[in-house]
Amino acid sequence: MSNRPADERGQLLMGNQAIALGLVEAGLRVGTAYPGTPSSEILAGINALKKELGLAIHTEWSVNEKIALEVALAASWTGLRAAVAMKQVGLNVASDPLFSAAYTGVVAGLVIISADDPGPHSSQTEQDSRLLALTAKIPVLDPSTPEEARQMAAIALELSERYRLPVLLRPTTRLCHAVQSLARPAPIQQHPLKARFEKDKKRWIATPRLRYLLHCELNDKLARLEAEFETSPLNEELAAEAPGGLGIIASGVAFETAREVLDELGRKVPLLKIGTPHPLPREKVSRFIERFDQVLVLEEPDACIELQLPRRNHVRGRLDGTVPGAGELTAEVVYEILARLLQAPGTGSGLPELESLASQLSLPPGGPRLCPGCAHRSAFFVMRKVLHRAIFPGDIGCYTLGTNLRAVDTFLDMGASITMASGFFHANQALGDPRPIVATIGDSTFLHSGIPALINAVHTGARFVLLILDNATTAMTGFQPTAATESADGTASARAVSIEQLVRACGVEFLERADPYDQDGLARLLLRAHEHASSSQGGVAVLLAERPCVLYEPDSVTVKVKVEVTSQCDGCRYCLEAFECPALVLRPDGSRVDIDETLCIDCGQCLDACYKGFIVVKDSTA
Amino acid sequence: MSSVNAVLAGRGGQGVLLLTRLLATAAALAGRPVMVSETHGMSRRGGSVVCHLKLGDSRSPLIRRGTADCLVGLDLHETLRNLPFLRRGAVLLTNSEQPLPAEVEPVLHLVDIRAHRLPASQMADALGSRAVANVVMAGFAGRHLSLEAESLSQALENLVRGNLHLNRQALEAGLAAGQ
Ligand code: SF4
Ligand code: SF4
Repeated sequence: MSNRPADERGQLLMGNQAIALGLVEAGLRVGTAYPGTPSSEILAGINALKKELGLAIHTEWSVNEKIALEVALAASWTGLRAAVAMKQVGLNVASDPLFSAAYTGVVAGLVIISADDPGPHSSQTEQDSRLLALTAKIPVLDPSTPEEARQMAAIALELSERYRLPVLLRPTTRLCHAVQSLARPAPIQQHPLKARFEKDKKRWIATPRLRYLLHCELNDKLARLEAEFETSPLNEELAAEAPGGLGIIASGVAFETAREVLDELGRKVPLLKIGTPHPLPREKVSRFIERFDQVLVLEEPDACIELQLPRRNHVRGRLDGTVPGAGELTAEVVYEILARLLQAPGTGSGLPELESLASQLSLPPGGPRLCPGCAHRSAFFVMRKVLHRAIFPGDIGCYTLGTNLRAVDTFLDMGASITMASGFFHANQALGDPRPIVATIGDSTFLHSGIPALINAVHTGARFVLLILDNATTAMTGFQPTAATESADGTASARAVSIEQLVRACGVEFLERADPYDQDGLARLLLRAHEHASSSQGGVAVLLAERPCVLYEPDSVTVKVKVEVTSQCDGCRYCLEAFECPALVLRPDGSRVDIDETLCIDCGQCLDACYKGFIVVKDSTA
Repeated sequence: MSSVNAVLAGRGGQGVLLLTRLLATAAALAGRPVMVSETHGMSRRGGSVVCHLKLGDSRSPLIRRGTADCLVGLDLHETLRNLPFLRRGAVLLTNSEQPLPAEVEPVLHLVDIRAHRLPASQMADALGSRAVANVVMAGFAGRHLSLEAESLSQALENLVRGNLHLNRQALEAGLAAGQ
């Protein structure tokens, strides 16, 4: 699906694509990223522009966020404008170079984009990247709309270059995935560059004593930035005629939400928009606060501006409980808060008649599920069947949804399936707990941070079964290539790294390849792997479960098996729970299960999902 | 032109994103300011998918419950799940072969909501593929969002790769049903 109508009157751009456009318009030369919802379309957007406009930009999907940041940083030190994109938990992975780069500074503009996920919608935490930037002492820009994100991307590059400091651009999920009609850009010109890396002992290899001086320099940069931000249009008050008891300070998407809710309530309340939560223009903010009896701070996902306020006695926000301490500031939540503070009638929810109707209807759960025909489902189904007593450490990706099939018991962060499996093994040894341990990790996650984990497991003599679910793409975030695939989506040369060789090089002795669609074959291999991991002579047993993601490569299902549910089906729901393919649907009256023809991809994987044998191959002659 | 807020709902795989993009693009082609909120990531895989479409000057992506002018559902369950987004007097459009559950009609009547049901999947099936039910619904919804047939067809040309003929037929069928 192309996202850009060819018409001249305007174009629809997703927030992430708007960021990409802003960066490219400002002369970006190097873009790196590790995919993660909600940030993934930023580098994809840069790649699309690069192709469309024939620009010379080095882009790469790096193996993880730390690497992505370091590659972009080196480009900046060389004199090329660079950007690196990731999600908020990725910034944790990249925090090592982040903290150090604040001290060394940069040469050409370097923008770090870390997308936060208030909610959270697809993350393990609701952490606030702005707070990490505060600790690392780097400036943050916080856009409210795709349009503004596009402008701020360029401003961030310019500020970064002028202050020689990396700048964080911090969008949130709703902005990343908001689509807005934007004016088309002016044609983009690339000029020849004369940049080259200049050695500088005092900076690039600063010793601890020099680091102290760099720290002083950093503090000085922040002080100058704060002074600039005091009068910057990035922090602007929306004039409201009616001065009253209440003033609002807001940033990010919450600013626009507050504006809209105030309109709805028909109230004019002075609103101070903060586009630079760090360094915060403290004088401007203090002067604003002094004018009111009460000041409400609306920001996501945590308290960053509020935390920096010198005096908080009449400030309301996340810290004093006026704003919930967790969760997204949806229009409903903002409405509730404002209606209460302004003593306006109404609640944030829908019509009571419809709210109660919807809660009374017994609707099937709407949570996320693996796609119809996903090979992960087959693997999990077999794992449950063969080793149902096992402990199942899982990892981050589509396959985290294996929890729906009760084949994922833990998930923590990228690569933790392998380390947790090692930890469980050593703990179980001490306790005499005989349960097998069967861990799962995807290809991209394995490459991201599974390799040191596997080395550690082998080295410490941990024994467990590890399934590397290799679907040849980074599926959940929108099919980015991995280091083990040939294509690098926009990168000129991509050499595929072999997962099999990596596993062997980690010292693993038991390694077999399996096709999850061959459920019987996988079951036999799982038992052998289990045997190896159970024997005191054994070790980590790895199964490379290989089958392309069916959403990405629908043609990979070459053998089509049309299935049907026989008339004997009694609606016992067993298949729905044990296999939970979205194409298996219960009739609204609960009487039986049908195949949803729109969703079914004829993979035939559900044939064993009904233990009574009522799911059968459809007789094509009938 | 006055502003319109629409919620579009379905399940992963039914094409809610394309439906939303079609309507949004048609509006943008007609020069109307557009703001959309899409669902990506975890919640896309076979689970509920909800998109918000705001035509007008709004710059915040989300529609508050109780304020949508229109709900377009590609799936009966997802339509019902999202009913609380609608305001009094709103319009409900749903793809369904079955009637709405008995307890729903009287409540809708009470809050002055007009419900229109279209067997879009069946119609799409008759055209050759159930997968284009979302395009049928785009045509059906067009009139309620004051979108011209012409901008909708242009949007289709811009967005749809693959079988354009089938998609055009689907759009026509939806537009005709919406008259
Ligand atoms: S996107 Fe691919 S890997 Fe993810 S659930 Fe769907 S089929 Fe499975
Ligand atoms: S054949 Fe069975 S498992 Fe495969 S998509 Fe259809 S219903 Fe799902």
